[in-house]
Amino acid sequence: QILAVGSKSWLRRNIGAEEGAGWWQEGCVAVGSALLTKFSRTWRSTTPPPTSLLSFTILFLAWLAGFSSRLFAVIRFESIIHEFDPWFNYRSTHHLSTNGFYEFLNWFDERAWYPLGRIVGGTVYPGLMVTAGLIHYILNLLHVTVHIRDVCVFLAPVFSGLTAVSTFLLTRELWNQGAGLLAACFIAIVPGYISRSVAGSFDNEGIAIFALQFTYYLWVKSVKTGSVFWTIGCCLSYFYMVSAWGGYVFIINLIPLHVFVLLLMQRFSRRLYIAYSTFYIVGLVLSMQIPFVGFQPIRTSEHMAAAGVFALLQAYAFLQYLKDRLTRQEFQTLFFLGVSLAAGVVFLTLTKPSLPPLLRYAKIHIPIIASVSEHQPTTWVSFFFDLHILVCTFPAGLWFCIKNINDERVFVALYAISAVYFAGVMVRLMLTLTPVVCMLSAIAFSSVFEHYLGDDMKRENPIKQHPFYPVKNSSVYSKLIVTMLMLMLLMMFAVHCTWVTSNAYSSPSVVLASYNHDGSRNILDDFREAYYWLRQNTDEHARVMSWWDYGYQIAGMANRTTLVDNNTWNNSHIALVGKAMSSNESAAYEIMKSLDVDYVLIIFGGVIGYSGDDINKFLWMVRIAEGEHPKDIRESDYFTPQGEFRVDKAGSPTLLNCLMYKMSYYRFGEMQLDFRTPPGFDRTRNAEIGNKDIRLKHLEEAFTSEHWLVRIYRVKKQENRQALDHKLHVGNNPILTKKAKQNKFRN
Amino acid sequence: MQRSLIACFFRASLCAEGLVNEDVKRTLDLSSHLAKITAEIQLANHGASRVNGFTLALEAELAPHLAFIGVKGEEEEDESLELKETTVHGQSGKFFEAQLPSSLAPGAKLRVKVETVFSHVLKPFPTHITQAERQLVVFQGNHYLYSPYPTRSQTTRVRLASKTVESYTKLGNPTKSDETVEYGPFKDVPPFSQDAMKIHYENNTPFLSISSITRTVEVSHWGNIAVEETIDLRHTGAYLKGPFSRYDYQRQSDSGISSVKSFKTILPASAQDVYYRDEIGNISTSHLQVLDDSVEVEIRPRFPLFGGWKTHYIVGYNLPSYEYLYNLGDQYALKLRLVDHVYDDQVIDQLTVKLILPEGARNIHMDTPYPITRSQDELHYTYLDTFGRPVLVATKNNLVEQHIQDVVVHYTFNKILMLQEPLLVVGAFYILFFTVIIYVRLDFSITKDPAAEVRMKVASITEQVLTLVNKRLGLYRHMDEVVNRYKQTRDTGALNSGRKTLEAEHRTLSNDISALQARLKSEGSDLAEKVGEIQKLDNQLKDLVCRSCQEAERLVAGKVKKDTYIDSDKTLSGKRQELVSRIDSLLDAL
Repeated sequence: QILAVGSKSWLRRNIGAEEGAGWWQEGCVAVGSALLTKFSRTWRSTTPPPTSLLSFTILFLAWLAGFSSRLFAVIRFESIIHEFDPWFNYRSTHHLSTNGFYEFLNWFDERAWYPLGRIVGGTVYPGLMVTAGLIHYILNLLHVTVHIRDVCVFLAPVFSGLTAVSTFLLTRELWNQGAGLLAACFIAIVPGYISRSVAGSFDNEGIAIFALQFTYYLWVKSVKTGSVFWTIGCCLSYFYMVSAWGGYVFIINLIPLHVFVLLLMQRFSRRLYIAYSTFYIVGLVLSMQIPFVGFQPIRTSEHMAAAGVFALLQAYAFLQYLKDRLTRQEFQTLFFLGVSLAAGVVFLTLTKPSLPPLLRYAKIHIPIIASVSEHQPTTWVSFFFDLHILVCTFPAGLWFCIKNINDERVFVALYAISAVYFAGVMVRLMLTLTPVVCMLSAIAFSSVFEHYLGDDMKRENPIKQHPFYPVKNSSVYSKLIVTMLMLMLLMMFAVHCTWVTSNAYSSPSVVLASYNHDGSRNILDDFREAYYWLRQNTDEHARVMSWWDYGYQIAGMANRTTLVDNNTWNNSHIALVGKAMSSNESAAYEIMKSLDVDYVLIIFGGVIGYSGDDINKFLWMVRIAEGEHPKDIRESDYFTPQGEFRVDKAGSPTLLNCLMYKMSYYRFGEMQLDFRTPPGFDRTRNAEIGNKDIRLKHLEEAFTSEHWLVRIYRVKKQENRQALDHKLHVGNNPILTKKAKQNKFRN
Repeated sequence: MQRSLIACFFRASLCAEGLVNEDVKRTLDLSSHLAKITAEIQLANHGASRVNGFTLALEAELAPHLAFIGVKGEEEEDESLELKETTVHGQSGKFFEAQLPSSLAPGAKLRVKVETVFSHVLKPFPTHITQAERQLVVFQGNHYLYSPYPTRSQTTRVRLASKTVESYTKLGNPTKSDETVEYGPFKDVPPFSQDAMKIHYENNTPFLSISSITRTVEVSHWGNIAVEETIDLRHTGAYLKGPFSRYDYQRQSDSGISSVKSFKTILPASAQDVYYRDEIGNISTSHLQVLDDSVEVEIRPRFPLFGGWKTHYIVGYNLPSYEYLYNLGDQYALKLRLVDHVYDDQVIDQLTVKLILPEGARNIHMDTPYPITRSQDELHYTYLDTFGRPVLVATKNNLVEQHIQDVVVHYTFNKILMLQEPLLVVGAFYILFFTVIIYVRLDFSITKDPAAEVRMKVASITEQVLTLVNKRLGLYRHMDEVVNRYKQTRDTGALNSGRKTLEAEHRTLSNDISALQARLKSEGSDLAEKVGEIQKLDNQLKDLVCRSCQEAERLVAGKVKKDTYIDSDKTLSGKRQELVSRIDSLLDAL
């Protein structure tokens, strides 16, 4: 019966799935109705249902539902890589699949961070690329000739199914099968996870959440059984997680915390000793195999808690051993010695470490971190938006777990508490909270249904444990009401999930769409228009200066050399670009000359009213530039005396003459968008621009996209100067070049 | 002097045929970016013998740009003459030998129409223009018909793209009206005469050329032909100099007049699932129009193409195979266009055609409408292929619209091979399910788990108990029916025999259950107690059944009144209901 509820929640979401595509809806409804008939059949039959087949079916359908609800973007737009970071991942995967694994590990990308370059192989978590590359390789081996792009686009939805399965396994270990199935259904459609795993969002998180959940499952399993087999499995899964996402530090801190708390609770057992000792050693060695991680696990403070707990556990076990061998007197002295030693170790580990989120929190005061919207603290609204009813029910699940505590429920409680804390710090970390919320809510729902939907005769034992349900034969009406309410909640949850997925998380952001009054759709494809122009009609080695947000997209779509990109490892280089953008034209020209810039690309939303453009980001450029060049750039210069940031006549003269302003509004002063507004009216900022007569001396307009969203300027070469010899650079064109090349840069 | 000597020498050799161009009308169509030169020639045989063919000549300057040449006789409107490339000793240029269908008798006359198309002969001048400027081009050619035969009279008419003409050569005082320039008539022109013609005029027609196109056709015997064209397009007009201003381009209609915003590609009428994309995804700026006899795609590149700019895109579509694939037994013939329309007046610098035939096609033979270079055949692997599909690869340079003609590919294909792919899928699923069955049914564990075995044994025993108990309950229901019938018919014999069978069957069933209970006990399962409880309840139930039977006998015998009987029956059945439900709940708990 509990299963039926889970399934109904999906049935709802399937039906409310999609407005536009008829076949799509039909398909989803068909899945739903198939499920319903399945249930009605099992409902009627008197024999107990074949549970394994049923849970297999439910898991399969959860996979299917999770997969299909992530396809909104593909159906509305196309199979395309979304946003910024995925473009880099896609480009690297493409490099991997065309040039092979070793070439990928040794890849020195001279098209990024000009003139510095980037050692890609040593500065990425390769798990994602290797996974996609491997799938592509295997499919091609079987002559399933899919393009690597499609593998990348659909990787995250496929892995969401695996996440559902591993969540099921973990919850089953923690509670029971029914709760597991509910948890799988929840995580399949919960927006908090969908936000990072829609089709096209080819990012580390897409596979990392699976790895996270699976590692935790195997850890719980190994603590339960104390078998080295499960622990080695856990280590391998941990290795995969390390290779996939920087969030692996969450695991390497949570598992030691679990062990530590178990020790404090006097729950030390031989199983725990075997599990943690094996996990720490093997996991440590494995995690050090990833080039990007290297020796960090034994050097940095983030990993020290694990080492400390390892030492503590050894000491504890040793004391236990001595306890059997020694007299009481001897033992006491030794015990005090040991405790003080262990305390010393723990003290050392606890004073040194500043846990990663704390570290990140400190970083919030660095402008480059702070300028990213996903690094902002989470609001209450986004908790509800991403988790809906689950955020209210999961404390109940936590209570159930603590009420009937055992080793693994200690783990889930710690998981929940720490994840809640992290999610509060940063919007982005909502992702780590989502799985545990799903599990605990599933436990809460499952317990409630067990009592209000289950047979009265059966399961006397668990009921008697709960003082909450003293009435054994609760009346049919109360049962009915509670069940209906719960079902209503689940239905609303399903509807909310679909709505959020469809409206908030399914935009590729590379392609924009606007809707007319009659409902027809306009596609604004300016980004790709401009990037493709760069790709086709500029020199292969042209260097494009832009703000770092667009670095990955330029590299991926335009295939041109960029100065800075989304891998913001070099703050001073970014500050230099920021300085060029915020200086006047001649000062900027000097900087651009020194950086060999050929083209400058900016995003300008004034014509169509696109708010994420460079003028709106401009203050961050100024701030970052000021951080490195406080003498030349001062943030206050860009404000009016009243402290306002405005682009009209009242704006500060520094702003009105800086390069970014000039490039954004070049010839915009002549443009009259409609008859109600004066020429040069900026729709994004609702102001008539203050400097309409913009003349460029060192730059010329090279390309402007149809809706002026992307503007590209050519930096004029100095007269009588030989152009820089492009032959110096060895072509390493990842998208076009098919043949493998020898790596000429480094070994 | 020397030249005329050679000319004389050749005249001697060629004039032996005695052919003379009586009247020549040349038309130079320079209104697009191609030079289409048509010459209507009246040939006369002034010699003594019959003539079977004649020679066509092209100037050395134009010959490398020749994309197409065709000769048509006037009588046979549709049939074009067969051409063979030859050389003429001592003369530069390109020469073709045309075969006449029937020989020309001495003194007879013949009209032929020679059609030639040259690509890349209109040179932009100046080579770089700004966005506001118009595009001017120069054509350099010959005032006369370049021919190995003397010409009696000829006129040359030049059609231009616009009225604006910067300059043109003024041989023989040509007349110019609007967009045409007319030269001639020129009388008695000797063979191989050349006189440089130069026209400099405005031409804003799209100077697009396809620098390379790869056309891939994949034939499936399941009813589909997939066509995909990968196209590299380039604007070969005057280069854009200086900035590109979007403002001017949007606000001024004559800004960037020579640039190309969009063009139409005509696909076959049955084309379906058309896609238009490039490396970074779907190109959203395109429109598709389905007409009666064709499908028109308005191809709009992501950005307008100015001089020197290029783009790259892919267009693909599906065709139903019944329109293009013919077969007779195992013999198949595929007939479709070797190259298709991309835009009007198209120029293809390099064409690669890849024809992917179904896996297992043999004896492949390709009939091309014109000579084309065949490369080494390849193998192509795609979904469900095992040994690869044969791919015919052919290349050709410099093609124009006149080359849109059908190619025929003959091959043999054994129809049994059609079953290969479904069988492969079936086999794969079979293996999958079989493995699952094997895995589920058989025990692969290295160690034995006694507890699990006991559990399984207990489960099988309880299963048996369940069926037996249910059967026993069925007996009571059957007995009820017997009693009811007895009440109506008053047949004591039937009642007694019914009671007897009940007793007998009940005994055997109860014994079986007790045996199973004993087995459960021996396995150490606590379910044995529950089974014992069921047995106890069942004894009570059976008593009740017997009592209701006796009551019925007494009613029939008239020992009790009907009312009292009904009352007692009600209480009895109530008790029975309760017992049955208790047994059921116990069964559920098993």
